[in-house]
Amino acid sequence: MAGKRFILNASRSSVQGTLINKGKESEEYLALTNTMTMLAADMVEIGLAEGQLALVRTEFGEASFKCQAGKVPAGMIFVPYGPPTCKLMGGDTDGTGMPTSKGWEVDVVPL
Amino acid sequence: MKQRADFIVYWGGNPAECHPRHFTKYTIMQKSKFLPRGRKDRTMVLVDIRETKSVKAADIFLQVRPGKDFELITILRALVKGQYVADEAIAETGLTRETLDDLVHRMKTCKFGCFFFGMGLSMTRGKHMNSAALLTLAAEMNAFTKFVAMPMRGHGNVTGADVIMRWQTGFPFGISFNRGYPRYNPGEFSTVDLLVRGDCDAAFIIGADPGATMPQPAIDHLKRIPTIVLDPHITHTSKLARVHITTAPQGIAAPGTAYRMDELPMPLKPALKSPYPTDEEVVRRINEAIAQKPFWLPEGSQPQLLTTIG
Repeated sequence: MAGKRFILNASRSSVQGTLINKGKESEEYLALTNTMTMLAADMVEIGLAEGQLALVRTEFGEASFKCQAGKVPAGMIFVPYGPPTCKLMGGDTDGTGMPTSKGWEVDVVPL
Repeated sequence: MKQRADFIVYWGGNPAECHPRHFTKYTIMQKSKFLPRGRKDRTMVLVDIRETKSVKAADIFLQVRPGKDFELITILRALVKGQYVADEAIAETGLTRETLDDLVHRMKTCKFGCFFFGMGLSMTRGKHMNSAALLTLAAEMNAFTKFVAMPMRGHGNVTGADVIMRWQTGFPFGISFNRGYPRYNPGEFSTVDLLVRGDCDAAFIIGADPGATMPQPAIDHLKRIPTIVLDPHITHTSKLARVHITTAPQGIAAPGTAYRMDELPMPLKPALKSPYPTDEEVVRRINEAIAQKPFWLPEGSQPQLLTTIG
């Protein structure tokens, strides 16, 4: 199935903060930072099943994430910050010193 | 705010998850002399693009359309002053005129209002312009009532880094010392920009993990150059560094000072002993070793930075 454009937001959660104490190499932390949440209807639309891997691509790079359905707005994806999101982030800071870390336009292709 | 703020707005942040003690220790749950009924005396508004766990704590949830924060703030600034705003402009934000009129009325009639803004405002499209717009709105609200604004900071003690750099140089971040005096220019001297452009040929990182948060081009440059990391833990950055010195964790096994988000310095007393040196001790020993080295510029050059270290 063809990919569709989504808005990806990287964010943090209390679970992620707690897991840092367990280690960023722990299985739980890696699983969390490699999982993206999107609306169930959006997943159906692009042919993604719960737990399926999808390739997320920006103009700067790509990374694969496991999909889970959640209560998020249509057309949007939420994923915890981590090494996979670094691959999607561009280096331009628009003169502010901070890269854009939310609101990227991404292609999502089911794997 | 803890004592007086009866109208609190969290904008682009999720304190229930990211600052879990904020509600109970500093804002909506606190009882005070001026707000004796605590939560019942305070109104909390949450502005975000999605329903987060913080929604349950809010009296009013405004789900703004992604990337429309600046527009919403600008509309609020106009409505506060009684200026005309077109229906289409309001519709762009995903909210209704009734909702915004109600919000403006509440903002004007409260006794002490406060905006807390998070990365959902400051790191989305518009970035510092969004923050500046909200700060302007807070300033303009003081024509009607007392109003303040404060950022919800991300990492631990990032406020401390800003405060120290400010009182030492006059600037909070993005500072270059390469002329011997501090110069400030975000986008030119800020860390991400330096790394992405490949301007620096060494990196010294203390208690941070840019290898897990910065853009990939910046991480790739950290891999190319000699990177030295001081960190209590193995991190993504320590794994790409040439040298990783394990240090005692601040506040647990090392003393020091951490700054609260309202810039109040808090002394840290170590509860445990650590076999590892503190960050301060490692930096001092590196400085002492550097001071023993012969000056590297040709004779007659003005020594600028190396004379006062230590």
